[in-house]
Amino acid sequence: MNTDETTRQALVALIPRLRRFARVLTGNMADADDVVQACLEKAMLNLDQWQPGTRLDAWVFRIARNHWLDNRRRAHNRMGHDDISEMPDLVGDDGVAVVEAGDEARMVRAAVDALPPDQRDVVALVILEEMSYREAADTLGLPIGTVMSRLSRAKAALAKRIAGTGAVQ
Amino acid sequence: MSASFTDAQLAAFLAGTLVDEALIDAIEVAINADPDLAARTEALAAGHEIDPLVQAAFAPVLDAPVPERLIAAATMRDAPDEAEVVSLDEVRAARSRAAPIPANDTARGSWGWAQIGAMAASLALGVMIGGPLLKAGSDAPQGASLVLASADLDAMLDNAPSGQLVELAALGQGEVVLTFRNIDGQLCRQFMIESVGGATSDALACAGGAGEGWQIEAYGRRAAPIGEMRLAGGDAAPAVIAAVDAMIDSDPLIGADEATELSKK
Repeated sequence: MNTDETTRQALVALIPRLRRFARVLTGNMADADDVVQACLEKAMLNLDQWQPGTRLDAWVFRIARNHWLDNRRRAHNRMGHDDISEMPDLVGDDGVAVVEAGDEARMVRAAVDALPPDQRDVVALVILEEMSYREAADTLGLPIGTVMSRLSRAKAALAKRIAGTGAVQ
Repeated sequence: MSASFTDAQLAAFLAGTLVDEALIDAIEVAINADPDLAARTEALAAGHEIDPLVQAAFAPVLDAPVPERLIAAATMRDAPDEAEVVSLDEVRAARSRAAPIPANDTARGSWGWAQIGAMAASLALGVMIGGPLLKAGSDAPQGASLVLASADLDAMLDNAPSGQLVELAALGQGEVVLTFRNIDGQLCRQFMIESVGGATSDALACAGGAGEGWQIEAYGRRAAPIGEMRLAGGDAAPAVIAAVDAMIDSDPLIGADEATELSKK
């Protein structure tokens, strides 16, 4: 198994996280999957530009985000329905608990989707990907203080929206 | 400068609980200008009560089935929507034209991947590219070629007699239509694949020798899908027919002769 093949397998393994990242960036799964597909194609074309020993995920997220910044005017921007709640795995055994958890999740997603684009980037990397501020700053090509302030404002906005609905005490 | 903000202010800044917008901006500017302050602030980072809520809200995406087109994009087994026929000779010729470009030139690397992606798409098969063809270095052996990556396909080429329909799992159905030895004495097999989606591809593979497996020498997609598998005939992709004509140096091997030749490849 050569290195390229190993890297390809690592790329395939990254797809679920890449979809989640793109979903936060784009606000909908249709655009997210278009971004992921273009990102994977670009990554495959430029695999020789990735430096082994550095984070493959950060490299790929950067490609995805740059693609989205370049192409978002052409995106569908289908908003208005919550596509994640339509995903089959939300259906569980305890119907009531699932519905309640689903309502809360829907509301949290709506709050995230309502954030300005440059705050969604940092939410996706720091909260969901659990990157450090430094890693997120390197991935986004931003100064670390700017990442911190964007996340600060994002957290304030999320807390306000979510607290207003009772999910956070 | 670091000293001008308290830990409480910095922690509140990170937590999103500062209400003074001007103070938020001032801290951002100060951190960007002062690595020590950045490090001090990083050390104050803590989880936030909304973090697990946000994580849970987007968790279904991680668990959802991944669309096939995304896996195809990462493995270059693209859905074949562009009929394109590329011969290996064209690839080699283009490669040698590209040879003067420095090995680390990105355009050259991109060219290789793009071409190979188009070829993989044209074949509509799970093909993997042999390492040497991809390496930008000049020491790639002349025999660099496409190497079949599908175990099902490999098994069909290794064992199946001509004319026998073979199930190839995710690829669809395959059939070897012609077996012969080429002018170099290699065993070669022309075959077709009808994908699950109905597209039919033709290909010619020759045994690489020395345990290298099967290498694709030519391939192409048929202009229109056909409803059922047919025996070898004039409707195979022109590039494949031309390659067979150019390479064939024995009578078609069939029956017991074919089995014997396959066993010694």
